[in-house]
Amino acid sequence: MASIPMVDTVTGPSMSELWKTRRDKSRFQWSSLGLLTPAFALLIILFLVPMGFAVYLGLTNLTLVGPTAVKWGYTGTQNLLRLKSDTSFWSSLWATGIFIVGSIAGVVVVGYVLASLLMRARPWMRMIVGGIVVVAWMMPAVTAGMTWYASTTGGGAFATLLGTPNTNFLDNNPLLVVTIASVWSMTGFAMLVMGAALRNIPSEAIEAATVENASSWQRFRMIILPLLRPTMTAIVLLTGLLALANFSLIYIMTQGGPGNATNILPLYSYQQAFTYNNLAYGALIGNVMVVIATIFGVFYVRITARRL
Amino acid sequence: MSEKDAVATAVLDVPETPITSVMPPENRQTQRTKVRSVSLHLILGGLGILFLAPMLWLFLAAIDKNASWGIEWPHFSLINFKHVLTGSLLHSLWNSVVLAVISTAIASVTGVFAAYSLSRRKIPFKGPLLLFIIFSSGVPLAIMVIPVYEIFSRFGFLSILPTAVFLSVTSLPFEVYLMKNFIDAVPTDLEEAARMERASTFQVLRRVVIPLAMPGIAAASIFGFVNAWGSFVVPLILISPANQQPAPIAIYTFLTLPKAEFGNIAAYSLVFCVPVFILYAVSSRLFREGFVLGGGVKG
Repeated sequence: MASIPMVDTVTGPSMSELWKTRRDKSRFQWSSLGLLTPAFALLIILFLVPMGFAVYLGLTNLTLVGPTAVKWGYTGTQNLLRLKSDTSFWSSLWATGIFIVGSIAGVVVVGYVLASLLMRARPWMRMIVGGIVVVAWMMPAVTAGMTWYASTTGGGAFATLLGTPNTNFLDNNPLLVVTIASVWSMTGFAMLVMGAALRNIPSEAIEAATVENASSWQRFRMIILPLLRPTMTAIVLLTGLLALANFSLIYIMTQGGPGNATNILPLYSYQQAFTYNNLAYGALIGNVMVVIATIFGVFYVRITARRL
Repeated sequence: MSEKDAVATAVLDVPETPITSVMPPENRQTQRTKVRSVSLHLILGGLGILFLAPMLWLFLAAIDKNASWGIEWPHFSLINFKHVLTGSLLHSLWNSVVLAVISTAIASVTGVFAAYSLSRRKIPFKGPLLLFIIFSSGVPLAIMVIPVYEIFSRFGFLSILPTAVFLSVTSLPFEVYLMKNFIDAVPTDLEEAARMERASTFQVLRRVVIPLAMPGIAAASIFGFVNAWGSFVVPLILISPANQQPAPIAIYTFLTLPKAEFGNIAAYSLVFCVPVFILYAVSSRLFREGFVLGGGVKG
């Protein structure tokens, strides 16, 4: 390097030492540790430790109140056996599955339809409809739950608009209604992301296909879908994760009822822990959720890490 | 929950201009395109109405002095807002502010240090650390609430401040991920120039990196704020004193009252939404301006 100054070989640093100091930048610096420590200390104390603790807690007899709230201990596989024969748990798992799959399907389909139609619509239409969908997405879950409850209960907005004022949609089809509410509250995100991805599709590709007399279905299947696949995968995984953890919306709308119809895993875990006081059993149900979330999470890492 | 706006904040840089060229060139059949355009707008209008319908109650009942669960033309009055912006309900909103501000401050400050370090420094096991950050940014950490409850109750932590710390952890991974991506985009030239002047790490961060990555840091902070602001299950379980409960719990408490005050519920829920909508508007603007980092380095 011409810019390295000539140095007296006796008193100053040697040429090879200068080379070393130039590489100094890429060496480990102790201050990096200081910069990382606060964030990772928080993550370890309030994420990794509780996660490990939850694994143990799930195999104990801890309760919220009573003698086993103070004197509790390891009970081995007792809770696991209970889980195996707990019909409420299996129906909750089933409801969770329906809720997640329904949310994903609805969000992807409605999000795509909105994104592709809005792209071709007039600006004023795009502003109004896009705005409404984004407002629905931004609305905090508690508020969304409130307004969906009001709209779908007897005498609510949907009943009035459809001319059957006494129909109680929420009581008649609880799982369907909360799934639709969940789709409603997440579509805005999918619409924005897919809109951005659609705009990145080179128009030449679609024009070329049109010249070749490809039908619009063929254009969608052969060109748009393959190019949109990474975006769609990300939306599917995130929607799945968010639906799995969706406590607030359903809790406000139905509290898991009527009966156990909408008692998805987060609500069932809460119910066992804080209504029936079985803290340990609630934690075990929480662990089932962590396992499901980890499966989604691993795929999510795989597609996101490529972009790092 | 608010996790939903997680990755979304990262993709708000949606350009406004449409690409009309996606429309197939069908000059011969202008009649057909016109029919198509009309039906397209009709479908969109229908979808818009379907998305608007569930919100109608919220807006109409809030300004109706004798509201019910139903929708009707309101007896216009602002009395509901006057009712809910007093006493314990106002105090709950204040608690929400405290909860959200503290958790955002913790997550953003610790997050920016970690993000800088992960972006610029050579760190052993950097790959696994980044994978851990991405993983925990995707997995909703609020599902950890039962073990955290047990830990907090042992130490007598079931109050607003420790809860704010836990909420900061639930948004920390995504904030780190977002800020790291922004710091990656900041040119290193300015930083090296500052190093030449013997600036310390802290000075480099404060004077160079943080100002340049400000749009990303602001967006990450907004994400953290909205996440804490909207959280319901975490304060429900982790905060035990009634006078420390934030607004979402107050909204839920409305439902447990023997006589439902519909207008008040709607007005309060609407007030609760306002900060979120304002911050969304700010963040989408930030992202439009955010990627203009040129001009800092001359020549």
